[in-house]
Amino acid sequence: MELRIDNLSKTYSNGIKALQNISLDIPKGMFGLLGPNGAGKSTLMRTIATLQEADSGSIVLGDIDVLQQKNELRQVLGYLPQQFGLYPKISAEVLLNHFAVLKGITNKNERKELVKALLYKTNLYDVRQQNLKGFSGGMKQRFGIAQALLNNPKLLIVDEPTAGLDPVERNRFYNVLSELGEHTVVILSTHIVDDVKELCTNMAIINQGQVCLKGQPLQILEGLKDKVYKKTIEKSELNLYKENYQVISERLFLGKPTIHIISETNPGDGFTAINAELEDVYFSEIFNGTKTKSI
Amino acid sequence: MWYEIFKFEIQYRIKRPDTYVFFLFIFLFSIVGVDFIFQGSEMGLMKRNSPIVIAKTMGAITGFFMILASMIMGVSVLRDFEYEIESLLFSTPIKKRDYLMGRFLGAFTVLLFVFTGIILGMMLGEFMPWNSPDELLAFNAFIYIKTFVMVTLPTLFFGAALFFVTGALTRNLVVVYTQGVILFVVFLLTKAITNAFWQAIFDPFSLTTVTYITKSWTVLEKSTQELPFISALLYNKLFWFFLGVIALMYGYKKFNFNLVKEKKSKRKHVQKLVAKSANKNTDIEIPKAKKHYGLSSKWTQLKEFSWFYFISIFKQPSFWGIVICGMIIILINSVNLGTVYGVDSYPATYFIVEELQETSYFFFIIILVFYSGELVWKERGAKLNLIYDATPMSSFVRLAGKFIGLNLIYVVLILALISSGIVFQTLSGYYNYELQVYFNGFFLEILPLLSIFTCLAFFIQSLVNNKFVGIILVIVFSIVNVAIAVLGFDHDLHFFGGSSLGAYSDMNGYGHFLQPYLLIKLYWFLFGILLLIIGSLVAVRGNETNLIKRIRVAKYKFSKPLIKFTDIILFAFIIIGGFIFYNTNILNEYWSNSEATEFRVAYEKELKQFEYIPQPKIIDVNLQLELYPSKRDYTVEGYYMLKNTSIENIKAIHIQKLLEENVTIDSISFEGGFTTNNQYKKFDYSIFNLEKALQPGDSVKMYFKQRFTTKGFEQGRSNTNIVYNGTFFNNEQFPTLGYNKKYELQDEDKRRDHNLSKRSKKVNIDDPKELVNARSGGDSDGINFEMIIGTSKDQTALVPGDLLRKWTDNNRNYFHYKTNTPIINFYAIVSADYEIKKDKWMTSNEAITEPVDLEIYYQKGHEYNIDRMMKSMKASLAYYSNNFSPYQYQQLRIMEFPRYAQFAQSFPGTIPFSESIGFVLDIDDEKDVDMAFYVTAHEVAHQWFGMQVEAANVQGQLMVLETLSQYAAIMVLKEQYSEEKVQQFLALQLDKYKEGKQQESKEEPSLALVENQDYVYYAKGAINMYELQKAIGEKNVNLALKYFLEDWNTKNGKLKMQTDRYATTQDLLEYFRAVTPSNLQHIIEELFESVGVLKNH
Repeated sequence: MELRIDNLSKTYSNGIKALQNISLDIPKGMFGLLGPNGAGKSTLMRTIATLQEADSGSIVLGDIDVLQQKNELRQVLGYLPQQFGLYPKISAEVLLNHFAVLKGITNKNERKELVKALLYKTNLYDVRQQNLKGFSGGMKQRFGIAQALLNNPKLLIVDEPTAGLDPVERNRFYNVLSELGEHTVVILSTHIVDDVKELCTNMAIINQGQVCLKGQPLQILEGLKDKVYKKTIEKSELNLYKENYQVISERLFLGKPTIHIISETNPGDGFTAINAELEDVYFSEIFNGTKTKSI
Repeated sequence: MWYEIFKFEIQYRIKRPDTYVFFLFIFLFSIVGVDFIFQGSEMGLMKRNSPIVIAKTMGAITGFFMILASMIMGVSVLRDFEYEIESLLFSTPIKKRDYLMGRFLGAFTVLLFVFTGIILGMMLGEFMPWNSPDELLAFNAFIYIKTFVMVTLPTLFFGAALFFVTGALTRNLVVVYTQGVILFVVFLLTKAITNAFWQAIFDPFSLTTVTYITKSWTVLEKSTQELPFISALLYNKLFWFFLGVIALMYGYKKFNFNLVKEKKSKRKHVQKLVAKSANKNTDIEIPKAKKHYGLSSKWTQLKEFSWFYFISIFKQPSFWGIVICGMIIILINSVNLGTVYGVDSYPATYFIVEELQETSYFFFIIILVFYSGELVWKERGAKLNLIYDATPMSSFVRLAGKFIGLNLIYVVLILALISSGIVFQTLSGYYNYELQVYFNGFFLEILPLLSIFTCLAFFIQSLVNNKFVGIILVIVFSIVNVAIAVLGFDHDLHFFGGSSLGAYSDMNGYGHFLQPYLLIKLYWFLFGILLLIIGSLVAVRGNETNLIKRIRVAKYKFSKPLIKFTDIILFAFIIIGGFIFYNTNILNEYWSNSEATEFRVAYEKELKQFEYIPQPKIIDVNLQLELYPSKRDYTVEGYYMLKNTSIENIKAIHIQKLLEENVTIDSISFEGGFTTNNQYKKFDYSIFNLEKALQPGDSVKMYFKQRFTTKGFEQGRSNTNIVYNGTFFNNEQFPTLGYNKKYELQDEDKRRDHNLSKRSKKVNIDDPKELVNARSGGDSDGINFEMIIGTSKDQTALVPGDLLRKWTDNNRNYFHYKTNTPIINFYAIVSADYEIKKDKWMTSNEAITEPVDLEIYYQKGHEYNIDRMMKSMKASLAYYSNNFSPYQYQQLRIMEFPRYAQFAQSFPGTIPFSESIGFVLDIDDEKDVDMAFYVTAHEVAHQWFGMQVEAANVQGQLMVLETLSQYAAIMVLKEQYSEEKVQQFLALQLDKYKEGKQQESKEEPSLALVENQDYVYYAKGAINMYELQKAIGEKNVNLALKYFLEDWNTKNGKLKMQTDRYATTQDLLEYFRAVTPSNLQHIIEELFESVGVLKNH
């Protein structure tokens, strides 16, 4: 079973083209959807999650036509939205139980077992009777993934799940996610490159509503092999370098700008060759090109 | 700085549509404000734009819309928390003072803008076409503005301060709404304050205040004078203004700018727990639970959901606030139950239930309107909607779960109200709880309507996608619905929700009202379900909020099982609707208001010519009546003996059938041959031309056979005369002679619209045509009456006359009655399952006469005051026969009838007496006047004034009949109780008189020329007759009445025998003058012939 998105477009009433002819084939396993804020990731995710209508194009999961057979899709869907709240005055256990009913798990005993297991899994068992009001950001996200997993989804959509989580919480979250990849199509949208690097077997980068790059991270890195160079420079020199080189990223290291450039040949001039990181791919796509490349 | 915040608040609100919706809502309501609040009668002679009327209307509208004020003021600070920008805001260098002041003033300014809708609306209302110019003063805009500043502004300020502070401190929207409720409760509580001054001070909407400061004003002053801003009104406003200031100060002190602190401490506690578990094993296999999407799973989901949403409201303190308010209000308000003539009734369950229903409606509406909004917005409010929306959960099941959850909330409130009712009964020492009456009163009468309107509220909320606009729309719809019904489009098939269930009676239960009521409720409930289905299909699911797009994708949500379900509901809806239509419009005729008006107009225009044509008089009535209570049918056959008492030959006899479609005349025939003229058939008016004209003094027998058949059920309340238990009707059911004035159109304005001349209720005292009539269309100067009446086996049937025989045949009870002395042509037919109390009374001065049989027929359980009534019958018979003239019949019976009507009425030897007056009064001889005793005495007096002497059907008629009966009853009361009780009774009459005078829309007549003003002939009559006997002595008054009776007795009066006409007040007053010493002669004129001023007791 795979998810096939074909020529999906969506323009909002205020004229913003959120999705422009998006086509993606997403196989089982973790799929990273990378893109800056406002790239259209959430729109795409919500459209797949049946929460939004598309203007044209199609989305198919196995034999389910997502845009028409919403309810069929929802039966196999787990969805963790980018932002969500929780009823403050009820406990994790009660709310998770409530969601289980929502998802059609109406056998009481089965539901009880399932809720219990998921609470263990997400490390919330000890606080299961706490009111959700007191939950931290990490606990809230873990609760979110617990609810998404209730119906043993074939398609799991998690929209920017690690935003705002501290490193410990993020790792904990990854651990839960990483186990799911084998039988499930998992789409993870994020603007954090490390998320994709650590988890995903496939990925795509979208920007301004368009797919600019898709493939497997390793292959994608292959394309930049021996092409990335780095140099630490003075602040005042930055513009000069930008004119002369294809600068894909600049960041501060101990207070001084460090730039990465792409070059087919060794530029010399104090640059040192480095192993391309996924981040370099990301930046090169975001800043330099909007053309779709498939590697 | 505060100015910036103020400006921001205003700018924000200017862009919000709800600001304008609120304004428009108040504006539109204010246009009909005066009509709505005064609803015609209460205004009396006051002009509809007089300062008092404006002030009261403004006060009431302000009160009604306090809830809007709470919506505007409450959200001001709350909004920052809702949008979670409080941490941004409060970390800026804004000072708390600036922040709160800016927000408050900004919101208050908007509030003022919204409420100026009252001024503009009411001004416009003055120019509405339905106002006639003679009800208006000249337009004066200043009055409106001044009144607004005086009455509305301080109340608004108080409300604004309170709501603002509560919103800021609790940060809970529902708590804010509840404020409006609590303020209303405060208003109701002030009604329980007995001291008029303090009540005037504490009334938050200053309605009683205005009444208080103007109570001594004359009608003219009330009509024109401006309200002074002094004394009670000023104190009232100052009081509420300062309360507002205190609320603001308190809020300022309590409002905390550092919110984060509080949260931190809570989180720590949780984090500790997390840390403990952080290292636990997470290698757990997640079991794969089966997913079910079938019907049984949907059913489980529905149950779980209903409970979930129920609990979510049930746990809210604001809900409990409402419940507790409801319970308290009932305990306070129920102090006076079923009060008749100042005496309270026993707290019988149905009284309690009615009281609970009346006061709790407001609470139910609040819960319905607000919590339906809350529930529809619940997921979005918690930002959980996307998770919900991406699950395979049916939208309909979700909405239906919310619907059921809210209904369970109603049930909780109902149970709370019932328990407070039971507590009240227990505290009053009444232990007959009748849980079934409680149950029916709420679960039959209230809950179905709430459910239906809840469907509507969910539908609207799902459709409009704006909580506040949704709330307003629900309210607007409900008002419009009622308004349309008032305009006459009230057929239950299109009056949303259907009409209410008729009154409950101990005698007849809900009677025949119940079945149609349930059908109509079922019809609307099915409609409600359809609304819910549509609502669930178009409700927002996902990110799409545009209504048109939502409608377009609705078809994808319309799943096969839901389509099947919809088909079933739709089918049932149509079938039941069809069945109702068959009953109301095919089996029975349904007349709209305008059709009925047209008919009356045509009746008068075509038949008025026959009003005074010579017709024979009925002298004998001999009928056999078969009553079938369980079917609500009867048949009657027999004859009238008609005698020509005029001086002309009578060739044509005009017969009017009762204008009721259930009544059919099977046959009418006259001895000696006749032909029928059916020219006026459409009015059920037939002219029979006798073959041989009836000579003066000759008689002819008119045989007739009539049926009353109840077919199915009709629209609205069907008649309450012929019921399962407690039938009570009179001979107006039977054919009458000639034109019937009672069918004329009565409403003055409508008459004018249809070019009909002015119709006075009573003609002039010297009108020669009516002087010879004892009542409108009397048809007779006295009859001999004989009737055989059959009824069902469990019932006793009663009519006037001696009971000759009683037997059972064919499993039915039969009774044969016959009078042995002529009676007036006015007799009641009564049948019910009765308990009987019997006694005898012997006249003291004439040893020859036989004893009179005294009987009281009453409903089991209504024994409370039977002895008082019996005592009154005896005392009255004794007093009247000693002082006026002997009693004319061999029996005197009181028969209880259901509380569909609230009166007692005298017929020859029989007194039907309503269940609701007297039988269940809880009379405390220390503090109350014994009204069971008094009403009985009054009705017994009618056996003299009404049965022995009749009065001409002209002005003053009711003084002869009613005022004299009042006098007679007071004298018996004085004799059996005390002067003190009489004074207490008269004080009550004085209040009634004043109240009636307030509401009088014409000139008050003198007693001698009274028409149908009961505050004159009952209340003032009682007082003035008492004055008369004080001035000239009881003996003299009685003597005058004795001579009056001797001369004007219908049967054998000395003067009556020499004339066709009946007595008038002119005749009566001569007898008073004759017994009044010459130095006091002037009081006759003062008391009876002029309007005068009442002496204060």
